[in-house]
Amino acid sequence: MSKLSIRRVEKTFPGRPGSSGTTAATRALEPTSLEVADNDFITILGPSGCGKSTLLRIVAGLETPSAGEVLLDGQPVHGPGPDRGMVFQSYTLFPWLSVRDNVCFGLRERGVARAEQLAVADRFLAQVGLKGFENHYPAQLSGGMQQRTALARALANDPKMLLLDEPFGALDHQTREVMQELLLGIWEQHRKTVMFVTHDIDEAIFMASRVVVMSARPGRIKCDVPIELPHPRSYKVKTTPEFAAYKERLTEEIRVETIKTLSMEA
Amino acid sequence: MAQSVSDPLPPQGGGGRRAALFTPLKPVAPALRTTLGISCFVLFFLGWGIATYGGFVKPLFLASPGDSLKAGWALFTEFGFATDIAVTVWRVLAGFALAALVAVPLGILMGAFKPVEAFFEAFVSFARYLPASAFIPLLILWAGVGEMQKILVIFIGSVFQLIIMVAVIVSGIRTDLVEAAYTLGAKRDGVVRRVLLPASSPQIFEALRLVLGWAWTYVIVAELVGASRGIGHMIIDAQRFLDTGQMIFGIFVIGVIGLVTDLAFRTLNARLFPWAKSR
Repeated sequence: MSKLSIRRVEKTFPGRPGSSGTTAATRALEPTSLEVADNDFITILGPSGCGKSTLLRIVAGLETPSAGEVLLDGQPVHGPGPDRGMVFQSYTLFPWLSVRDNVCFGLRERGVARAEQLAVADRFLAQVGLKGFENHYPAQLSGGMQQRTALARALANDPKMLLLDEPFGALDHQTREVMQELLLGIWEQHRKTVMFVTHDIDEAIFMASRVVVMSARPGRIKCDVPIELPHPRSYKVKTTPEFAAYKERLTEEIRVETIKTLSMEA
Repeated sequence: MAQSVSDPLPPQGGGGRRAALFTPLKPVAPALRTTLGISCFVLFFLGWGIATYGGFVKPLFLASPGDSLKAGWALFTEFGFATDIAVTVWRVLAGFALAALVAVPLGILMGAFKPVEAFFEAFVSFARYLPASAFIPLLILWAGVGEMQKILVIFIGSVFQLIIMVAVIVSGIRTDLVEAAYTLGAKRDGVVRRVLLPASSPQIFEALRLVLGWAWTYVIVAELVGASRGIGHMIIDAQRFLDTGQMIFGIFVIGVIGLVTDLAFRTLNARLFPWAKSR
């Protein structure tokens, strides 16, 4: 059975009253179905504004679909919860909490004993390479370190799924590549089911076991490409001919959609 | 880091240094900042001194700095001015604390829960424009001329402003922080108490600092009518004897107390919320 079932989920944002009359309703997502197997690492690839973040937010329970339903382990999703850990593109660490207390946040909300909270937090902070920064405040950290903390914070809750919404999008290229390896390493170890949204083709191929390409707005799944590159993967895989072949194909798919988006805006 | 990036090259040629000093948004060195701040005070006293000692203004209208100081000394030694100050400070703090006690929780509730906001917002916006001083005759009727009346003037003057400010602050908390808390398993109560509350605390503290400043203007107005003690009462008393020295000294003391509380609030804010410092 699939871990996650997305069944004919669609989303239309209602029009808003403005100075020049009510704006038309925006169709963000066409009816979309997707099955995600346990331990799968799925990347959702698409041009900006294609509804890929909307789809992820519906799975997270932060948006309600206009129609359709999302099932996690056969249970319908009715709102956000700790079984689906999320890392956002924006830096969402709580600025008033230390790095350690940020990672403890979810455990504390669940009423886990303090000693256990600290043990779990320190374990995951070590895993993302932040040993020694436990007592720092988020403002004292670089963007990459903040996102690593956010990842540790999501993992500390031991969620069934990890949802990532362009978590490395605001980082510089070099940092992003190191973060990809870090995340992949953690996935290879824990085998959490991951849904990762990105517009970066290299990133999508490098980490995924499946790349799902979405079309320009209104978003719908255009193609579903299994990535059969061996694990564990290192950054060196990015220069192999197999990788290049995937990249060529996906570049073509995305290019068509990007041009469509541009001509829609014109 | 930010400084080295945003530092534009100073223009070449004459006046380059001054031009560099007046680059928009460029910070000044701490030492220069202090010097400039003090020079404004020096200039103020200088102007005052010239106007009075130079004989440009009659002493009846404006006492000289020296006379004001002498009047102040007499106030403390002969008229028990320290008690007046204590009484006024007590009234401000009592009225202000009462206002904060009502406004902060209500403002947080309004910011967090939109039906509460919808219920109170229109009324509070209306009440906010009712001038506290206009209530004085009514309050005397209700509460007499005792302490309660003075405290209520300050309360009415501050509470509605503070409610609106706190509600706006809480409404403006980043939604992605709230969403992050939900995905970590926080429930409604946890989001209010462990996200909205800490996230808005530094700004609420800042709002309290501003409103405390306004509370000081209300207390003096309240003390001009039907008071037997307090700084405002002393000022109105001094007017009866045309003692501009005492009046000026009284006003000055209020300024100094304001400066001190302001500094205390800032220091406390930096202490309580060190994480909010580097923004």
